[in-house]
Amino acid sequence: MTIIPRRSNRVLLCLMLAGVLSWLMLDAVSMAPNRIVPGTPHRAHEVMGWWLSLLSLLPMLAIAALAWRPDTGRLRVALGLLVLLLAAMPLWLAAAVSALADPSMPQARLGIGPALWVLLFLWLLGVIELRTRLGLSRPMGWLLLVPVLLGWWLALSRWLEPLALYREYQGRSDQFISAVGHHLALVGAAVGASLVVGVSLALAMRRFPGLRRAGFGVLNFIQTIPSLALFGLLLAPLAWLAGRFDWLASLGVSGIGWAPAWLALVGYSLLPMVRNTYVALEEVDPAVIESARGMGMSRRQAFLQVRLPLALPVMLEGVRITTVQAIGLTAVAALIGAGGLGTFIFQGLGQAAMDLVLLGALPIIALALVADALLGALTERLRHGGAS
Amino acid sequence: MIELFDVTKRFGSETAVDGISLRVEKGEFCALVGTSGCGKSTTLRMINRLIEHSEGEIHLEGQPVRSFNEESLRRRIGYAIQNTGLFPHWTVARNIGLVPRLLKWPKARILDRVEELMGLLGLPVEEFSRKYPHQLSGGQAQRVGVARALAADPDILLMDEPFGALDPITRETLQGELRDLQARLHKTIVFVTHDMDEALALADRLVVMHQGRIVQQGRPIDLLRNPVDDFVESLLGGMDRGLKEAALTRVSERMMSFGPRLLASERVSYDASLSQALSVMLWHRVDRLTVVDDEDIPIGELSLRRLLGARSS
Amino acid sequence: MSGASHTSTLHRYLAGGWALFLTRWSVPLIWLILLLLLTFGMSHMEGVFRLVEPDTREVIYRRTSFAALLGQHLLVVGVASLLAILLGVGAAIAVTRPAGRDFQPMVAQLASIGQTFPPVAVLALAVPALGFGTLPIIVALLLYGLLPIVRNTLAGLSGIDAGVREAARGMGMTGGQILRQVELPLAAPVILAGIRTSVTINIATAAIGATVGASNLGDPIISGIVNGNTAYIVQGAVLIGLLAITIDSLFDRLQRHRPLST
Repeated sequence: MTIIPRRSNRVLLCLMLAGVLSWLMLDAVSMAPNRIVPGTPHRAHEVMGWWLSLLSLLPMLAIAALAWRPDTGRLRVALGLLVLLLAAMPLWLAAAVSALADPSMPQARLGIGPALWVLLFLWLLGVIELRTRLGLSRPMGWLLLVPVLLGWWLALSRWLEPLALYREYQGRSDQFISAVGHHLALVGAAVGASLVVGVSLALAMRRFPGLRRAGFGVLNFIQTIPSLALFGLLLAPLAWLAGRFDWLASLGVSGIGWAPAWLALVGYSLLPMVRNTYVALEEVDPAVIESARGMGMSRRQAFLQVRLPLALPVMLEGVRITTVQAIGLTAVAALIGAGGLGTFIFQGLGQAAMDLVLLGALPIIALALVADALLGALTERLRHGGAS
Repeated sequence: MIELFDVTKRFGSETAVDGISLRVEKGEFCALVGTSGCGKSTTLRMINRLIEHSEGEIHLEGQPVRSFNEESLRRRIGYAIQNTGLFPHWTVARNIGLVPRLLKWPKARILDRVEELMGLLGLPVEEFSRKYPHQLSGGQAQRVGVARALAADPDILLMDEPFGALDPITRETLQGELRDLQARLHKTIVFVTHDMDEALALADRLVVMHQGRIVQQGRPIDLLRNPVDDFVESLLGGMDRGLKEAALTRVSERMMSFGPRLLASERVSYDASLSQALSVMLWHRVDRLTVVDDEDIPIGELSLRRLLGARSS
Repeated sequence: MSGASHTSTLHRYLAGGWALFLTRWSVPLIWLILLLLLTFGMSHMEGVFRLVEPDTREVIYRRTSFAALLGQHLLVVGVASLLAILLGVGAAIAVTRPAGRDFQPMVAQLASIGQTFPPVAVLALAVPALGFGTLPIIVALLLYGLLPIVRNTLAGLSGIDAGVREAARGMGMTGGQILRQVELPLAAPVILAGIRTSVTINIATAAIGATVGASNLGDPIISGIVNGNTAYIVQGAVLIGLLAITIDSLFDRLQRHRPLST
C-alpha cells in the first residue's frame, strides 16, 4: 500500500539535516602513514576545500527540498538521489586518496571517518524510509543496491588501494576467502543437522505428546545458556572423549575446534527449528485436513500433499531464524578455534587493529543480511505459490 | 439538542460526509441508517469530535462543539460501540465506573452509581462486578458497554451499531431493553445502524444516508409510506415494506370491542404488532382474532378487514 | 476484636504471604542460591577441578574474585538493560503518538533489520568507534538490546484492539490517561517478553565483552582458552550459565504471574 501524506516528510528532513551536520562537523577520513601509527583525522573541507565540500551538500539539500512537499514523483527522485549518493561515496573516497596521497609514504592507509559512517547509516535509513513510503517490493529494494555495489567495486578495483580495510584484505585475501568458506560450511553443517534432527523431533512430538513438554523444556534451557558458556561447557567433555577414544580424535574431534562449535550450534538451532516445525504442522486448518481425508486421501497422502506443503512457509521461517542466528554464533566459535570470520574479529581485537576487526565484522553482517533476505524471499514465494 | 449545519468531512481527496444538516431534539431517538460507507459512522463520530469536521458547524445545546475541550466534551456524552471496547484488563465494575472516575467523583458515589447501573441493565452485582470482559457473553458485554456509556448520566448518548455483533435473539432482547430504558430516561440518542428493522423498531426519527448525504429523514411511518426514491424504498425492504409498516403498529391501536359473533378461537396479545397478528391469521387460516391482555383475558377482537382497514393517523 | 486474635490473623496472613512468595518464586530462588553458592564456594572446590586439569599448577581462577566478576557482569548488563528499556519503550511510545507517527515505519524497519545483525558483530563495531573497556560494551549492549524492546513494544501497542482505543477516546480519556491506564497495561506482557529477550542476549554478549577488555564472568573463559586451562573455562562457563538461567527463570515467573494475563 502506498501512503503518501501531503505534509512534508519529516523523517527525510531530519535525516538530511543530521547528514549535513555530520558532514560539516565530523571527521570524514583519517590518513595514517602505516599500520601502527594512528592516523590524522581530516574533515571534508580539509580534503576538498570549503567550496567543494559545501557544493557536495547539494544532493542532500535537494532531497530535503523534495521532502518538503512530497508526492510520489518527488519521492522517487529523492530515492534516486540517495542511491546516487551511496554509489558516489567510494568515488569521493578515491578523490580523497588522491588529494591526501603522499608519494613518500607508499604504505599510507586511508581510514573511513565517523562522518562517512554516520552518513552511510543515515542514507540507508533514508532508503528504508522511501522504500516503505513508496511501497517498493523486496526485489526492487535489492535492485537499488546494484549501482551502489558497482560504485564500490569500481573504486576498490582502481583507486582505493590505500583504503585501510582493503589493505587488510589484500594482506590476507586467501585467508579471507577460506574463512568465509569455513564460516559458511560450519553454518551449513549446523543448520542441515538441526533441520534433520529438528523435523524428526517435531514429528516425534506430534506422535508422543509426553515428549513435547520435556523436549521444549530442554531446548528452551539450552537456548538460555550464553554461547560462550556453552562452548566452554562442551570443551571439557569433548576433550575427555577425544582423549579416551582414538577414532574420535582421528576424526578431528577435540576440546577445541569445530566439534564443540558444531554441537553447540546444533543445540541452539534446534529450538527455533522444532518450534516452527511443530507449530507449522499443528496450525494447519483442521477443516482442510478433514476435507482431504473426506475426499479419500490416505493419512500419508493427506500429510505429504496437504499438511506438509501448507506448513512449509512457517518451517522455512524456522530455517531463516536458525541460519541468521548460526552465522552470528559461528563468529563467537572462533574463540574456541573453530575458524571462520570471527577469527579476524578476535585477532583484530587482540592486536588493536580495528580495520581487521571490521574485515571480520562487516562480512558477517553482510552474510546475515543476505541469508535473511534470501530465505525471507523464498518463504514469501512459497506463501504466494499456492499455500494459505 | 444536537444540531448539524451544513457539515462536511473530507479525508484527503475523498468526501465522506457532504454538507449535511440535521437537528436532533432533546429526548429524541434518532437513527442514522444506510449502507456501509455512507458516512453515518463518520457523522456520529464528528459529534463527540473523535473525528473533526472539515466544514460547517456542529452545535450541542446551542454551543459549537469546538468551543468545548475535547475530553470534557466526550465525558458528557455517552458512547457505545459495536465491539464494546471494554478494557480487557479491568473488571466489569471498573469499566462501568470509568467516566465517573475521569470526572473525579467521590469513590462512594461511583460505587453507588455502578451498582445502580448494573441493576438497571440486569447484571446482578455479586455475580458480575468482579468479572473480566473475556468472561462475559456477547450480550452481557454489550450491556456493560451500555452501562458504561450511561455511567455519568449524560444527556446525550451516541451508539455506533451497538448490537451489530450479536446473535438475532440477543439483539432483539437488548433492543427491547434499550426501548424500555429510553422510555424511562429520555436521553437524546443518536444511533447508527445498517439494520433497517432495528432502526424502525427503536427510532423516533429515521435519517437515511447515502454517499455522504442525507437522502430522507422523518418519522419511520412517513418514510415507509412515502419513500423519496428507489434507494430508500429498497433500503426499507421493497415488497416487504407492508409488513414493516405493520410491525410498527400495535394491535391495541386497531382492536374493536366484541362484535355480535362468538369469540374467535385464536388469540393475540394487545401488545403484539399488526404483522404478528397477520402472521397468526395466516398460520391458522382465520380472519378474526381475539385480543387478550397480559393476563390472557379477552378484551376485544381484531378482524382482517380492520387490520387491513383504513389507515389510522 | 481482641489484640491476641488480631496478631494471630496478621501472623497467619504473613505466614501465608511467605508461603505464597516461596511457591511463586521457588524456581528462580533455587537457581539464585546455586549461583551464589558456586560464586563464593568456587575457590574451595580445588579438588573437583583438579580432576579436570590434573597437570596444571593453578586450577582455580584467582586473578579477580568470582564475586567481583559476577558483580561486574550484573552491573554492565543491568545498566545497559535499564537504559535500553527506558529508551526502547520511550522510543516506541514516541513513534506511536500522533506527533511522532511519521517515524514509525522507519523505526519498525530498523528494529527488525537490526535484529539480523549478530550481537558479536555489533560488539566488534563498538570497539573501533569507542575504544576498549566497559563503556563500548555498555553502548553495544544498549544499542543491540534496544531492538527487541522497541519491536515488542510496537507489537504490543499495535496489538491492542482498535475498539478499546476508540472507546477510551470516546469516553473522554486524555492521551496520557489512555497510554498509562489502557495501552501500557495491555501491552505489558509483550513488552516484558521483549525485555526478557534483550536481557538474555545481553548476558551472553557481555561475556564475549571480556575479549575487549571488560572484566566479567567471561574473563575466566577467555583466560582459560588462552592458557589452555580447561578448569578456568568450566568455572566461568558454569557461572555464566547459572546467571543466565537465574535471570531467565525470574522473567518466566514474572510473565506467568501477571494477574490479568488471561
